[in-house]
Amino acid sequence: MTTHADGPVALSMADTGARFSLRIGVTPDDLAAAETAFGAPIFATIGARGREAGRESLCLGPDEWVLTAPEADRAPIATAFAGIGAAHPHSLVDISDREIAIDLEGEAVTALLAQGIAIDLDAFPSGHGTRTVYDGITVVLRRDAAHAFRLEAWRSFVPHVWHRLTEGNKELALGI
Amino acid sequence: MSDIAAEPEIGLAFRETGAPVADGAFRVARRGRVERTRRVGFTFDGKPYGALGGDTVASALLANGVHLMGRSFKYHRPRGILSAGSEDANALIGTSRGPGRFEPNTRATMQEVFDGLAAESQNRWPSLGFDIGAINDAIPHLFAAGFYYKTFKWPRPFWHHVYEPVIRAAAGLGRAPHEADPDSYTARYHHTDILVVGAGPAGLAAALAAGRSGARVLLVDEHSEMGGSLLSMPEIGIDARGAWSFLAETLAELASLPNVRLLPRTTAFGYFHQNMVALAERLTDHLASPPDGAPRERLWRVRAREVVLAQGAIEKPLVFDGNDRPAVMLASAARTMLNRYGVLVGEHPAVVTSHDSAYATAFELADAGATIPVIIDARPTVEPVLLDEAARRGIAVATGHTVLGTEGRMRVSGLKIAPVTGGTIGAARAIHCDAVLMSGGWTPSLHLFSHTKASLVWDEDLKTFLPGQSPEACVTAGGGAGHWGIAAALEDGARAGATAAAKVGHLGRVHDFSVEGERVETGATIAALPSRGTRGKAFVDHQNDVTAKDVRLAVREGMRSIEHVKRYTTTGMATDQGKTSNINALLIAAEALGKSPPEVGLTTFRPPYTPTTFGTFANHHAGATFEVTRKTPINGWAEAQGAVFEPVALWRRARYFPRGNETMREAVARECRATREAVGLFDASTLGKIEVVGPDAAEFLNRLYTNPFLKLAPGRCRYGVLLGEDGFIRDDGVIARIAEDRFHVTTTTGGAPRVLTMMEDYLQTEWPDLKVWLTSTTEEWATVALNGPLARAVLAPLVKGLDIAADAFPHMSVAECKVAGVPVRLCRMSFTGELGFEVNVPARHALAVWEAIWTAGQPHGITPYGTETMHVLRAEKGFIIVGQETDGTVTPDDAGLAWAIGKTKRDFVGMRSLARPDLVATGRKQLVGLLTRDPATVLEEGAQLVEEDARPPVPMIGHVTSSYWSETLGRSIALALVKDGRARIGETLYLPMPDTTIAAEVVAPVFYDPDGARFHL
Repeated sequence: MTTHADGPVALSMADTGARFSLRIGVTPDDLAAAETAFGAPIFATIGARGREAGRESLCLGPDEWVLTAPEADRAPIATAFAGIGAAHPHSLVDISDREIAIDLEGEAVTALLAQGIAIDLDAFPSGHGTRTVYDGITVVLRRDAAHAFRLEAWRSFVPHVWHRLTEGNKELALGI
Repeated sequence: MSDIAAEPEIGLAFRETGAPVADGAFRVARRGRVERTRRVGFTFDGKPYGALGGDTVASALLANGVHLMGRSFKYHRPRGILSAGSEDANALIGTSRGPGRFEPNTRATMQEVFDGLAAESQNRWPSLGFDIGAINDAIPHLFAAGFYYKTFKWPRPFWHHVYEPVIRAAAGLGRAPHEADPDSYTARYHHTDILVVGAGPAGLAAALAAGRSGARVLLVDEHSEMGGSLLSMPEIGIDARGAWSFLAETLAELASLPNVRLLPRTTAFGYFHQNMVALAERLTDHLASPPDGAPRERLWRVRAREVVLAQGAIEKPLVFDGNDRPAVMLASAARTMLNRYGVLVGEHPAVVTSHDSAYATAFELADAGATIPVIIDARPTVEPVLLDEAARRGIAVATGHTVLGTEGRMRVSGLKIAPVTGGTIGAARAIHCDAVLMSGGWTPSLHLFSHTKASLVWDEDLKTFLPGQSPEACVTAGGGAGHWGIAAALEDGARAGATAAAKVGHLGRVHDFSVEGERVETGATIAALPSRGTRGKAFVDHQNDVTAKDVRLAVREGMRSIEHVKRYTTTGMATDQGKTSNINALLIAAEALGKSPPEVGLTTFRPPYTPTTFGTFANHHAGATFEVTRKTPINGWAEAQGAVFEPVALWRRARYFPRGNETMREAVARECRATREAVGLFDASTLGKIEVVGPDAAEFLNRLYTNPFLKLAPGRCRYGVLLGEDGFIRDDGVIARIAEDRFHVTTTTGGAPRVLTMMEDYLQTEWPDLKVWLTSTTEEWATVALNGPLARAVLAPLVKGLDIAADAFPHMSVAECKVAGVPVRLCRMSFTGELGFEVNVPARHALAVWEAIWTAGQPHGITPYGTETMHVLRAEKGFIIVGQETDGTVTPDDAGLAWAIGKTKRDFVGMRSLARPDLVATGRKQLVGLLTRDPATVLEEGAQLVEEDARPPVPMIGHVTSSYWSETLGRSIALALVKDGRARIGETLYLPMPDTTIAAEVVAPVFYDPDGARFHL
């Protein structure tokens, strides 16, 4: 894990865990089947997250979720979804390695993120997530607490994002 | 500033007679907000000067009695300050904050002095005092409006080579710096309920009302200190306190509110759609030693639900001959210099006015020790109270007078004035003075409001434009809305703030301010003071050196709209955007046209409001973060091997791996030989990958691609060509069927996002009934390509769970297995013409698998190769690269890919277009190979092909798309698109180059292993 603390926000980078992109119809039947297969709530409201036993779903679009889970759960989840495929057509694609996650924590975290993210972070409640853009790069942003966010970007973009965040953190440390 | 709360001893100050303090002869005791105990040193044109903390370059120079600060744009006339704010058109200087940190055209009135600042005058040579360019002033007809449209038209070539360069060298402002900017710049997004622009009385009242309501408020002001006109009017009483106490308490309250943010030194420079306002915050330009790594400026992109524009009003100059000499300035500038900076701009300043507000300035300067020789008022009558106050101080008032001219060269030394009776100018008399303070009334500052495409309404009483309707959620308050005076501005600002708060769902209360010491001021609007002479220059636009005569000339020469006048005379153009000149120019043009001002119109104010650095616009997009550079998991390994990289789309790819002192050609030749003869290793991770999943996945791909996909068996791969609806090639790639309902689609590196978007577009708009979903997996999988006759020998020992023997795993197969212990998707395919495998590895494990293959390949002479070798090897096989052999006008048949079209398919995207008459006609350019007559000659890509007997105008019948030295063939090869190319095979065509003409034979585009036997080894 890479960390950075040259500023008021603690940054750390994690390249672990299982991650899937789930696409499925939004009928109650389909969603219920998907929830059963996943073992955690799957909500149809964009931005909503359902969490249970280390597994989490985040609704990114009208028929799109990103599912995250501990590494050990990767194969069981894939198997469970394969079991409902015939009755509930869907797409489950392993994207565990596509993205790298950056955790950000500290009182100045919204100031740091606002250097690259255009959305109103004051209006982004804890427990929510969204797909948005950081400095022109598509990212998935989650808020876990008032001062704790997680940002995920495609692997090849992460060095750029990390550079910007660490430089921005140093800027915040200057207090100007 | 530390003394922000210091209350001036008003009574005492009025009694004092301005004994100068040591830092400058014109510094007045007990006046101003400068820090008396903080002495600062700076230089101007190399000469050292003393200043006080809080000074600007302008106030510090004036404190030292220096009025001459620059030379004008066209005539090189000596100039001092015109105003004391950001609108100043005259005192533009060069500033240097150290090596590489030179900035031209800095406004002396805005640049804060710090220890070590080096400032210099500009637009003068050899010196500010003696300037050769001032000859322009003596031959003004050369620079009259529109002169170069008329004078320098012929002979035509002279314009570009002689006239324009000479004119540009003679006329202009500061010189652009040559060094790269060593500073860094930053940016931030910000959301607020209410943005208040301007922290004068209206803005402060608005921010207070909005802030107290609980709404999120951002208050910005371009000056180092907030307060606006309150900083220059300490004598006003507000709510039973002095103005400065009120200011300090108000700012303290605002700073204490958690929902309010204050940004001084921040200019709102542009107002864009949907209440997005751009701010430039100056972070370090005022610091002698900024913290290491501190950014110089910050761009704020603010999205506000409501905007209150409280930018106040700008005093209007009076137009009379010689109104530009150093020490001729706006009355408000003198008032600011006195009250904010403690500087007396002259010992004998004369006042020229058509508005009451100049009287207050005159009285304050008199009370501070100046002797006012006369107040010249263009109006025939003036309120008795003003005359009484003037008389009490022994100041003569000449009502109904005009100014015929000014005296003095480097500084004004006198005025010639005359009475005007019934339009007739009477006898002139001379007045001695060392400064002239002028006031023609006030112009609301509507620049940002105008950026919103808002309407402006002409007010006949105030003789100015006032804000009308705006499509944005904004309101103008205070002086900007024509509410003159502190009391009116406070009241209007409070109302605007409370209203904005209510609009965003908060309860805003309007506070009633009680204001003392202010009288309602009025004035008359005069286009230009009556003049007798024809030789003098009465300036309308000081920055562009446009005179009243120029504007009248433009009208005489047929300009009917102010937009025409602007372009003909340049009035209102350039960095100050006519802040002090637009209304005067309009009034003069309207008078000359015999029309009302609104009929003549007002020119458009363009962003930025004040000059903004390129650094602020670019902010993070400089240096390492200029643009994203995408790197593959193998990037670090390639770096360690000494690879030379090239950009491909946003990616950085290894181009070749030189050994020792190898040139690119030598390295590529070696890499090609190794791959053809043994085995080569290539990082193909950047290829786009899309996972297409669902029961209708095959149907979906069958409809999109030209090739048939319904019957492709799981475990098999097929090359696919993607067309646009126009029938032209958009992309290509190999598509692997992983399972009945799952495909692994590859795209070109640059085409990945485009292809996914096109797929989503068709899926969502044309075939929403299909049960299929698309997921980008470009970055899930890193791709390790292994090519060459020994590829299997290297790979086989690492593979578990799959037999990769030639028959068991034939060309164009795909399977899931383990390589070096990592689960992978293994394809047998080739872009080189050799036996090839592509190992798709989950990205986290890519480097480990790459290194395992690298190690296993050592006994076999494994050689890493880059994109250049890849290009050569595929060209030897005649494989196209989309974007190189295609340019958006190439059909599959043109590219020799007719075989890739499913013959029995009923439809696919672009199919109908392929039957269009122009796409089936003869004469289309077709892909062929070229072999130069001299095998050592490598053609230039892009070179045009002609026939031997062609006569001018020579028809160009084709062009070279790819050209390389082929180590395999021991000669050069090229691919080309040639008109009816396939029918020309065997012909010789010609490539005219600047120094020679090259002959080349047209051949089939496959140069190596035409039967494809080597795929199947």
